[in-house]
Amino acid sequence: MRFTISREKLQEGLTAVAASIPTKTTLPVLSNILVEATEKGIRLSGTDLDIAVSTEVAADVEQVGAITIPAKKLSEIARELPPSPVKIASSGEQRITLDCGRSHFKINGLPKDEFPSFPSVKFADSWRVKSGELQKLISHTSFAVSTEESRPILNGVLWELRPEFMRMVATNGHRLAKMEVPVSSSGAPQTSDLIVPPKALEQIRRLFPADEELEIARGENHLGFRSPFTAVYTRLIEGPYPNYDQVIPKDNDRVAICDKIALASALKRMSVIASDQTHRIRLSFNSAILRFSVQTPDLGEATDELPVKYTGDPLDIGFNAAYLLEILRYIPTDEVRLTFKAPERAATLEPEGWSEPGKYLCLVMPLRLVD
Amino acid sequence: MSSSLVSPLGRIAVLPSAVADQIAAGEVVERPASVVKELVENALDAGATSVEVDVEDGGKRLIRVSDDGTGMQRDDAILALARHATSKIRVASDLVGVASFGFRGEALPAISSVSMLRIDTAPADGEGTRIRSAAGELLGAEPAARRRGTTVEVSQLFYNAPARQRFLRGARSEWRAIADTLTTIALVRRDVRIVARQDGKAMFTLPPARDLRDRIAALWGGPYAERFLAVDDVSGPTHTCGLVERPADVGLASRRVHIAVNGRAIRDTGLVRAAEAAYRSTIPAGVRPALFLEIVMPANGIDVNVHPAKTEVRFHDRWVLERAVEAAVRRALGTFDSGAMFGRTAWPAAAAPVYGSPPVDVEAMRPAFDADGPLFVDEEPMETGAAPDSREPAAVDEPVPPLLQLRRTWMMFEAGDGVVLIDQHSAHERILYEQFMGALARGDAPSQRLLFPLTLHLTPEEEEAFESNSDLLQKLGFEAEAFGGHSILVHAVPAPHPRFDAERCLRETLASLTGDRFAAVHARHERLAATVACKAAVKAGDALSAGEMRALFVALRDTTLPAHDVHGRSTIVQLGWDELERRFGRR
Repeated sequence: MRFTISREKLQEGLTAVAASIPTKTTLPVLSNILVEATEKGIRLSGTDLDIAVSTEVAADVEQVGAITIPAKKLSEIARELPPSPVKIASSGEQRITLDCGRSHFKINGLPKDEFPSFPSVKFADSWRVKSGELQKLISHTSFAVSTEESRPILNGVLWELRPEFMRMVATNGHRLAKMEVPVSSSGAPQTSDLIVPPKALEQIRRLFPADEELEIARGENHLGFRSPFTAVYTRLIEGPYPNYDQVIPKDNDRVAICDKIALASALKRMSVIASDQTHRIRLSFNSAILRFSVQTPDLGEATDELPVKYTGDPLDIGFNAAYLLEILRYIPTDEVRLTFKAPERAATLEPEGWSEPGKYLCLVMPLRLVD
Repeated sequence: MSSSLVSPLGRIAVLPSAVADQIAAGEVVERPASVVKELVENALDAGATSVEVDVEDGGKRLIRVSDDGTGMQRDDAILALARHATSKIRVASDLVGVASFGFRGEALPAISSVSMLRIDTAPADGEGTRIRSAAGELLGAEPAARRRGTTVEVSQLFYNAPARQRFLRGARSEWRAIADTLTTIALVRRDVRIVARQDGKAMFTLPPARDLRDRIAALWGGPYAERFLAVDDVSGPTHTCGLVERPADVGLASRRVHIAVNGRAIRDTGLVRAAEAAYRSTIPAGVRPALFLEIVMPANGIDVNVHPAKTEVRFHDRWVLERAVEAAVRRALGTFDSGAMFGRTAWPAAAAPVYGSPPVDVEAMRPAFDADGPLFVDEEPMETGAAPDSREPAAVDEPVPPLLQLRRTWMMFEAGDGVVLIDQHSAHERILYEQFMGALARGDAPSQRLLFPLTLHLTPEEEEAFESNSDLLQKLGFEAEAFGGHSILVHAVPAPHPRFDAERCLRETLASLTGDRFAAVHARHERLAATVACKAAVKAGDALSAGEMRALFVALRDTTLPAHDVHGRSTIVQLGWDELERRFGRR
């Protein structure tokens, strides 16, 4: 294996792949990056066995071949190299030499056979999605996944593909985020439900430019995303996703419309006094006033008020302020529409007056209030 | 053995009274200490305000007890040597609720039967009588000048009972028993001046004391007296007061246990156990606290006529009494005073009061709300793993030392005089325990409603545990209902921390509550809070982020008993610099 590559291209490729390389691993080869030189250029790949990222960068290949190199060391070297072409050549199965200007390195690696093979995903049956649409779904929903490990299903984001739209849903059992966007489907019409680890979605969001068309294909229990140069593979989470539609309230008859920034500011002020553990605050809706209050034993209490547009009977309801604040952060409009049924029933938050095509709904379960 | 009453077969004879007295003496008078006890109690029953005890050769040669009590007339004094002669009761019904120390009329005859006895007594100054006896035989009674009061002098104890004499220990050992006896009495009768001398040397001089702590200070020194918490609690007709050792000090000095009921020092393992039960969750298993407890209860609830030395008594309702004692001690342990000294030395000296980390990560949220910044924050790193969580606060200026996690089990930091290790599970358990106890008391635990109710299938025992604890579980934030067929449906759960696995916690809690029978409300609360805290706390093996460790540290510092987990194990262990220096051969 022998090739010459610009320092920028090398760094670009390494940056794309580096995030998929685990920092701690019991399998030494996983902390290495797979470097393959082909006629087209070089391909860099990394994996933590759950997610694999592979990207192709242009290079002047003299001799094809492959080897794995410690990713961290290679990245550190690439960052410090002078701005000159980088010549990389294998010397034997387990070592490369790297020359750049007057710098010279010999780095020990591992044979490429030890690197795990990528999941077999056949892109022949793929469908296509605009990267930007996918990213929009990801950034508005995946924050809501569960981090607690007892229900692995909730650690993933549900991605529902339908002929006319696609939808992502994430929840930790306390709050839920759901967004759908219409799609002009191309390729095979797909109706599919996939549960994707958020870490993989983060890679998708990070690696592909918004205007790129992605090819997506499903293997046995893996999913592959591919653009002309870069591919991401991820393990899918198996099992039935809870029936979220059933818990989304349809008959919430108390509706408030608030200024998002004012609401968030008040919540943050109340949070200062709220309990560290639960961030519990009380919201009291009464005609045109939303009154906030919080009491924490041993600390103190606070109240605040915000004029709102409210219809429905007066309501007192408790929430984890952090949940509300987090959702407000992703609401794409200046005003937010909140709906309620009762103090122990789910509340919804939606963007008010959203002009973009698509639907966005977040849901929060209340905290018990004691009078 | 001359006998007046002999059966036809000549085998069975009624013993002459002198022999009977000697036998009785075996019960009442075992050793010099029991003589001292009987004589001092007689003095106190006679209304003495000052008692002086002189002992020679551990009491084997001489015991002299002088008081300033009422004294006796000549005839009374002679009669006092006769068995069952007593001034303290008249008829059997007086036995119920007898308040004096003695009443059986056994002591003096028993003592006189095994020693040479001299009594100097006077009901008023100058009208004294001197009585002498040996081996129970009255040798003489003559007038003698004496101030009001009585002096009883017992010499040559057991001179006529060589078998008993052989069993006496050395003078030091006998003196120690006498000192114990006097201590016990001194703790109960703090109003009386007590002086003890051995071989002419003053061993202790106790002035009348204002309260128990003063008397303890007089006996063992001021610093020892300072290690105690005051107990004072009324439960029904039972009043429990006294002093108990601070949990942090338990096991560091000699353990002394004194229990008095209605002014009578007694031994009772049941009451000691009840008091020790109150320490549950505050001290390690195996160490036992020093206790000085005084219980006042209706006289008809107690029978003191069980044992000749009256050190054991019988309670009519032992269970209620033990609960009252446990509750009283527990109340004392729950006071601020109890927590004030705990493990404080283990904290960095500079630690100022801290009011917790900011509840939400306000800084991190700001970009989304910048007036002219984009609301659609695609450039921002997506926070996938992050549940709303204060445990990763932005850098806050708190005097929290840098913390290092070891083996995913301990947090380590440097304190003033050494390295401190905190067990992460124990620490979290203690924090949650106190939270849950607060929640049980107030019933306002935040309860997060669930989008998807949990269904738990229970064994019949677990189901029973659920039913008998559902009221308390609800106070903790678990809202659940029976769903039929050994299943429960959980609608809401507590949310003590973001890693909390409610389902597992509830399941394990119910599993370990099976078969529990705690009737007392507080015991149930504690048991449940401890169980749920244990199940809900982070475990050894959980990797903690720096923010999580910091939050744990701050929360632990704010607990009342940071140094102990709810099982009595240590939460904090300190390795001093001197120890390290020794290990490295630097000193």
